[in-house]
Amino acid sequence: MKHLLVGLLGLILIAPLKAQTAKDIITQAEEKLRGNSSRSSMTITIVRPSWTREITTTSWSFGTDYALIYISDPARDAGTVFLKRDKEIWNWQPSIERTIKLPPSMMMQSWMGSDFTNDDLVRESSIVNDYTHDFAGDTVILDRECYKIELIPKPDAAVVWGKIYSYISKEELLQLKTQFFDEDGYLINVMDGFDIQTYNGRTLPRKLRMTPMETPDQYTEMTYEDLEFDIDVTPAFFSQQNMKRIRP
Amino acid sequence: MMLLKLAYRNLWRNKRRTIITIASVFFAVFFAVILRSMQIGVYERMIENVVGYYSGYIQVHKNGYWKEQTIDEVTPYSDSLLTWMESKDQIEQVLPRLEGFALAATNEVTKGALVNGIDPEREGSMLKLGEKMVSGSVFKASDKSVILGSGLAEYLKLSAGDTLVMLGQGYRGISARGKYPVAGIVKLSSPLLNDNLVFLPLAEAQWFYGAEGMITSYVLDMRYSDNVPKFARNMKAKMDTAQYEVMPWQEMMPELVQAIQADSAGGQIMLFILYMVITFGMFGTVLMMTAERKYEFGVLISIGMRRGQLALTVFFETVLISIIGVITGLIGALPIVYYFHLNPLQFGEEASSAMEEYGFEAVMPASLDPSIALTHAVIILIISILISWYPTFVLARLKPVEAMHV
Repeated sequence: MKHLLVGLLGLILIAPLKAQTAKDIITQAEEKLRGNSSRSSMTITIVRPSWTREITTTSWSFGTDYALIYISDPARDAGTVFLKRDKEIWNWQPSIERTIKLPPSMMMQSWMGSDFTNDDLVRESSIVNDYTHDFAGDTVILDRECYKIELIPKPDAAVVWGKIYSYISKEELLQLKTQFFDEDGYLINVMDGFDIQTYNGRTLPRKLRMTPMETPDQYTEMTYEDLEFDIDVTPAFFSQQNMKRIRP
Repeated sequence: MMLLKLAYRNLWRNKRRTIITIASVFFAVFFAVILRSMQIGVYERMIENVVGYYSGYIQVHKNGYWKEQTIDEVTPYSDSLLTWMESKDQIEQVLPRLEGFALAATNEVTKGALVNGIDPEREGSMLKLGEKMVSGSVFKASDKSVILGSGLAEYLKLSAGDTLVMLGQGYRGISARGKYPVAGIVKLSSPLLNDNLVFLPLAEAQWFYGAEGMITSYVLDMRYSDNVPKFARNMKAKMDTAQYEVMPWQEMMPELVQAIQADSAGGQIMLFILYMVITFGMFGTVLMMTAERKYEFGVLISIGMRRGQLALTVFFETVLISIIGVITGLIGALPIVYYFHLNPLQFGEEASSAMEEYGFEAVMPASLDPSIALTHAVIILIISILISWYPTFVLARLKPVEAMHV
């Protein structure tokens, strides 16, 4: 009886230790969002106090190294393609028939006038590999129990943020909120995930909203219209030649 | 009147002294007018190049545009506003423009450029692109082609008929991209503009920036350029200032005004030194004249001439000398000024590239502004009046007996 009690007590103490580390949670949440490969249709809505604008895209990804984004609307930008291969990002502009390599200095600039940066879109920096992860308490968002995870960039990582708080739901591992801080500890951007839906067996937020804290009356919202995982693509699909040919 | 006649006769009693004094006044006026005309001529040329042939003396924008100067601060083109402005007597024409920035690229090189969407027909009176064509021709309003400044064209190694690619950000963050044939190349006199400007037809610029029906500025082509700030204030009073800003060029380009002021101050110091030298030269002769004529003054006073009358005569003498000096000085200077106005000084290779780096065109024309001659004539007259206080002062205290006791 006494042994049993000690055993039980031991189990209670050990159980949390055996649970996932903060890094595991981030990794799993990322994998859940991306899958092995994926194809998605998105509408990106840029909201400003006096106007709004919509961009329609289709994108493909393979692992973390390959991604391709095709813009089909507005008409003047139709056919514009962004391609990510490893650490390089290429942009095909059909109207001028030019392929442009985006320099690293442009990664933090606005993507097509939205509140997302080029980096946000193609995820050149990796929230798994470029940061150290730690639990920073629990909260409740959208009626879901969430981990609050603090991400601090590694000293040699090419990252502009000073700190990131990522809020991930315990049960479904959804990234429901991300707060981006600069080096001085000021909150710069907040990304909210909401409108939880199930796409081909995966539960994910349908909408991601990026709000810059400096101008809270403007934001950019990404809405997943369609999402497929584990599709039939190979790294060969993500080539500069295909960038000029591809149609959704 | 008699005193004036007396003064005039007195002048020629000692010809040499009078001529020396006249000569010093002559050179003062001569150099002051030539120096100043050259200097002001350069400023006028600069203002004319930038303001007269490009930005216009007054522009109307959406309120707040000039501070930001981004493509987001555009205003819808309004036909009624344009008609209202054109109904003013002082305004010859109103030119709608859409200005922005973009990267101008060829296969090898890329350079930041100032993109200006213009109405080619209306701009005939302002930019006068047709007259400045080096090669090619002016596009039509409905064309989809560009005209480059020759400095930019040289840098990009483009000539008429080649293709220019432009990249930038348009209205509300839209991506601005376009590929255009080069319709023509123009030589703009302002080096700054010549090295950076790309002209597009207004409609095409609106498409390029995704700002259909929008413009950044109404450029007012004025019939005469006097009193620009006052005219701008009057216009402002009649317009909705929450929506529009009316800016005279002095407000738009304070750096141009300041550069001119700074440079002008240097010239004014030179003139001040010149005037100091002349003042003492003139004072020297007057001093000598007063001393030499003490005996004569003594006699005149003792035979009954009033001191006041005598002082007035001497005063007239000094003023007459200055007037003769000023008039001959102007007669000497004006033909030279006029010559350099018609044939501006040209500079050698090195000097001109140094000047162009500062944004000055490398020529030195002379200004024909009549106020220059007038100002310096008046300054010399005032100096001579100040100097003539000395003989008056001496006469007032002159004791005839002592003066005649040589």
